[in-house]
Amino acid sequence: MTPEPIFATKDVASVFARQTLLDRDLVRQPARPVVRLLPWLNVITLGGRSIIDRGVETVKPVVDELREAMSEHRMLILTGPGVRARHVLGVGLDLGLPTGVLASLMATEAEQNGHLIAALLAEQGVSYLAHGTVARQLAVHLSASPAAVSNGFPPYGIYEFPPPVGKIPLHRTDAGAFLLADAYGAARTIYVKDVDGVYTADPATAGDEQPELLPRVGAAELLATDIKTLPIDPIVLELMATAKHVKEIQVVNGHTPGNITKALAGEHVGTIIHGGG
Amino acid sequence: MEDAGTTGGLESMLMDRSLSDPELLAMSGTAPDYAILPKVSVLKIGGQSVIDRGRAAVYPIVEELGEIKRTYPMLIGTGAGTRARHAYGLASELGLPTGVLTDVGAAVAGQNASMLGHLMARYGVPVVGDSAFAAVALYIAEAGAAIFAGMPPYDMWQHVPEEGVIPPYRTDAGCFLVAEVFGARQMIYVKDEDGLYTANPKTDKNATLIPEITVDELIERDLPDLVLERPVLGLMRSARHIKSVQIINGLRPGLISRALRGEHVGTIITAA
Repeated sequence: MTPEPIFATKDVASVFARQTLLDRDLVRQPARPVVRLLPWLNVITLGGRSIIDRGVETVKPVVDELREAMSEHRMLILTGPGVRARHVLGVGLDLGLPTGVLASLMATEAEQNGHLIAALLAEQGVSYLAHGTVARQLAVHLSASPAAVSNGFPPYGIYEFPPPVGKIPLHRTDAGAFLLADAYGAARTIYVKDVDGVYTADPATAGDEQPELLPRVGAAELLATDIKTLPIDPIVLELMATAKHVKEIQVVNGHTPGNITKALAGEHVGTIIHGGG
Repeated sequence: MEDAGTTGGLESMLMDRSLSDPELLAMSGTAPDYAILPKVSVLKIGGQSVIDRGRAAVYPIVEELGEIKRTYPMLIGTGAGTRARHAYGLASELGLPTGVLTDVGAAVAGQNASMLGHLMARYGVPVVGDSAFAAVALYIAEAGAAIFAGMPPYDMWQHVPEEGVIPPYRTDAGCFLVAEVFGARQMIYVKDEDGLYTANPKTDKNATLIPEITVDELIERDLPDLVLERPVLGLMRSARHIKSVQIINGLRPGLISRALRGEHVGTIITAA
């Protein structure tokens, strides 16, 4: 039934006016190539459990390497939450709290790790930036200093999706870093972890047969395998399918000195996961 | 406690396993679901469908909500509408990414929340900002309702759509997720159509109303146009609290109150 004429709308003329934004043919229409907002940006993610929780022996050389790299590269360093997030997740689940609340609680831990890393680089002009600042003032911050640190978790908070299985939030550090890198059209997206890359099986739990390192692998291919645990959250592999700019991500071992520097220089260390075919 | 064993198992798995481990994920699903605001209904007032129509559409809704909020406490989310469409068109022409469009869309939903807030001020209803959800229980206890901007705060972290750059998770999704996280009583979408049709009733004369349908049926039918953002269907499949939503025509007086009472007055979409 059509509404009475008294309800005339006050439209602004535009290509999408009066439509639901859900008609596939219409939404397709005005698409243009998407601009890379910060084509020189390197997004470097430091794992919570795999790097930061390991303490001074691991963190110091990684931070030293990042400090070195600041003379040549502009970087947004993102941090994961690590073991404290596991703890708060356990308490929150036990209390019956929903996924959105759990996501907010975990994100706080990633933020705290960000403050730690930023403090270690403060002398070189590095600051911790909150989500809003990363979304709107990253350009000016990276003009003032070659590097900044932020929370790897995306600002989903209570708006986190209910996951298809269980209650653990899906959009964690890996997904947050990926979505942000793609929105900015970053040059490189590097995940610093505690393994040399993606293996044919989880090296931590593999039996006699030695798993092999995959130097280069497709995201879709990796999703199709039944490797039980990957060094990267599987949702990133799904997100790669629609990404506009980030067609490759690199997983490197931060426990091996020099790897971060090499990855920033475009060298093939670790595993490169690519989005295309 | 009888599930102490389960919790113990979960806690050790949380320490040892990857957070993507299938067994851990399954185990996390055995945790209880505590509904935070089980008596509160979440209403979404459409941007283009309601607020852009001005006082002819909005005043009667404001009055109706002002009356009924004491009986049915509610959170009222706002859509974005025609200005967001203008900005999306402009920004996508300029080649800007989805994240930038999300931010712009959020601002428009915010304007609509602000306007609705001024109109509902006489009923004591406040607008809650981004981080003010912590105080929402108090607002609802005191005023019976609170208004929020429906756009989720995904900003530069919004998912990228398969085609184009329009943010896939907009105000329908944002309001749904608010209802889900608070374990709300129900989710009602107030639009300008009697519910879901087989095609867009504004452009297709042969479109017929579908009073009731499941998410699976809806996905299977793959309608070319839809009254509700498609990703909401995916969220509904995974939701633990909100298993159905109702879409109603806010231009018909009294329907909001009837829907709040639990009557079937529009289209009800149920998960599974």
